[in-house]
Amino acid sequence: MKTKLWYLVKVSLSHKIKTKWFVVANVLLLILIAGLINIDSVIKMFGGDFDKKQVVYVIDNSNKSYEVLKQQNENYSSLFNSEDESNFEIKKTTEEPKKLLSKKDNKDAWVLVFENSDENVLNVKLISDGFINTTDYAEISTMVNNTKSTVALAETNIDPNELAKISTPVKIEREVLDENKKSEDESMQMIISTVFPIFILPFFALTIFLVQMIGAEVNDEKTTRGMEIIISNVSPKIHLLSKVISSNLFVIIQGLLLVLFAFIGVGLRIMLGTGDISNMASIGNLDIGETLSSFLTSEIASQLVYIIPLTLLMMVLTFIAYSLLAGVLASMTTNIEDFQQLQTPIMIISLLGYYLAMMAGVFEGSLFIKVFAYVPFISAILAPCLLVLGQFSLLEFVIAIILVVFVIFLLVKYGFRIYKQGILNYSSKGLWKKMFKALKSK
Amino acid sequence: MLKVDNVTKYYGDFPAVNGLTFEVKPGEIFGLLGVNGAGKTTTFRMIIGLLDPTSGEVTLDGKKIDYSVTDTIGFLTEERSLLTKMTVKEQCHYYGILKGMTEKEVDERLDHLLDKFGISSYKDKKIKELSKGNQQKIQFITALLNNPRLLILDEPFSGLDPFNVELFKNEIKEMAEKGSMIIFSSHRMEHVELFCKKIAVLKNGKDVLSGDLKDIKKKYRKKNILVKADIDVDKIKSIDGVLDVIEKPGEYEIKISDESVEEKVFKEVSKCKNVTKFAVEEPSLNEIFIDKVGENYEN
Repeated sequence: MKTKLWYLVKVSLSHKIKTKWFVVANVLLLILIAGLINIDSVIKMFGGDFDKKQVVYVIDNSNKSYEVLKQQNENYSSLFNSEDESNFEIKKTTEEPKKLLSKKDNKDAWVLVFENSDENVLNVKLISDGFINTTDYAEISTMVNNTKSTVALAETNIDPNELAKISTPVKIEREVLDENKKSEDESMQMIISTVFPIFILPFFALTIFLVQMIGAEVNDEKTTRGMEIIISNVSPKIHLLSKVISSNLFVIIQGLLLVLFAFIGVGLRIMLGTGDISNMASIGNLDIGETLSSFLTSEIASQLVYIIPLTLLMMVLTFIAYSLLAGVLASMTTNIEDFQQLQTPIMIISLLGYYLAMMAGVFEGSLFIKVFAYVPFISAILAPCLLVLGQFSLLEFVIAIILVVFVIFLLVKYGFRIYKQGILNYSSKGLWKKMFKALKSK
Repeated sequence: MLKVDNVTKYYGDFPAVNGLTFEVKPGEIFGLLGVNGAGKTTTFRMIIGLLDPTSGEVTLDGKKIDYSVTDTIGFLTEERSLLTKMTVKEQCHYYGILKGMTEKEVDERLDHLLDKFGISSYKDKKIKELSKGNQQKIQFITALLNNPRLLILDEPFSGLDPFNVELFKNEIKEMAEKGSMIIFSSHRMEHVELFCKKIAVLKNGKDVLSGDLKDIKKKYRKKNILVKADIDVDKIKSIDGVLDVIEKPGEYEIKISDESVEEKVFKEVSKCKNVTKFAVEEPSLNEIFIDKVGENYEN
């Protein structure tokens, strides 16, 4: 019977892998993943003025704002420790805004008009040809407000040195009293809470893939009387086990391929840069190279030694639980359409886990999210996320693993009984009655 | 020897098979007949070990049916049991290896059978690409692959042309000559009459007629007399024991209740002019079936 089990696994697995569609899908995945990792290079390859600073023309009718605004812009640059970080290029002009913006080179430029009101209050008007993005708007607003404050303070005859002190943005130094937490890990944790769900996304996709694959395979055999020939030669238990093993091997192979594609993408990225991971190109305001380097030196990285194996263990166990459940549900259905309807709640459960993982960073310490992190099927996505964020202890994570193992035990004990009955059932009449009866049988 | 001993199977309160008993010895072809829903499929499922009987026992060569025994059984289902996405070779490997054969054994046997049925060129074709008749051939081949000790054939001639029916018949006879036990189910009574020495007719799960086919026909009192003569139909019909007179092209078929009526009919017919034929025949299995089950099996 053991030989037959491995033969069934071999046939099932080779039918999934030795197809031209598996090769085509993976070539597409490689292109997509490598492309996504290098998306900035791809975008730049097609051209555009992404490196140019936002040009801001200033019409200073107040005769006191331009210099202050320019100073504010420099202060912001120095705050980010790099001259290049300044997003704006401030230029003084007296030209009429409409005429200025109608010039070809100034299509994307802005015009800031500073006016003094009758009550000597600074009024500002921002003119652009099209819409402007909210981040840049927020930054220029802050700078303009600071300009207004600085101008107002200057008029109170404060000493210029004092004025400089007041107008310079404050750099906040962080100190965390908990000895186990480094202050530099704080921003890393914020980044991880955003990035981690993205890393978990392939797990979510593979889970859906796994459930659909088992359902289709069982129904394919069930729609012919081939199932009778098969089950007359191997026990239903061996048959289900073969589906579980082959499908899990397939998703593990597919998962490893995704990791390989990601490495290829990173490799390409390094090749496109200077060969140093810390010098990798940046995406918008996020410097991936710098973020990665910070991550590798952070406290969180040292915890990965146990976080990664535990997460992988949790994922594999959850894959097994999902595949057992999918197999049992597929045995109860008489065609793939019925199975697709039955699998919808499984998808929603998985999706819930994914959403909660994304929200975990925002709702820190949420009891609601923490409770769901223990729930099998959801825990594979949520528990590792909470562990990385420091909201779940190692013991709590181990408890979540034990709960998944318990669900697998229940599915093996009771699910096999349903599978044995369901696999040769070709009618949906009195289905639930039959299944409950099967649960009681031994 | 296959022994089905007083087997009963209930689905809830419904008795699908009720106290069925029969034996099939090596080299015998046994006909299991019955209209749809009579309990044939349930019986087949119990024989191949898919279902456990509620009571009674099924044994093959004295052993209770389990996975060590089912490797020696070949089963051709009435409906398609082929996985159509596979090629012929993959399908035969799949079922053959599940029956405990090695890949080499499957290859050798498959080449022999494909050659015998004249479809060697289909070996690497996908099953879904084959015609209904060729799919039936492949299904038959998968049932024969393991040289089964017990071969169950449920409607084996479905979808076949007369030439291929002949091929199947020869193969079935050959299997029986080699010592296989064969259970045969068909809606075509002439096939059952041709193959089977013993039969059992099921009605609502119960055995309503069983035994040696010759004995069944012998014991069956009703006979048919075929007559070629200028007879007076009304006069013949008025004879006590004559059940019906059917006019057929060039002759009459007179149905009588038992052998004792033969003489009375003969006396009356001998009075008629142009008598060229008077033959007493045993009834067909179909007639016996209709009489016992109340439905025409060949419909």
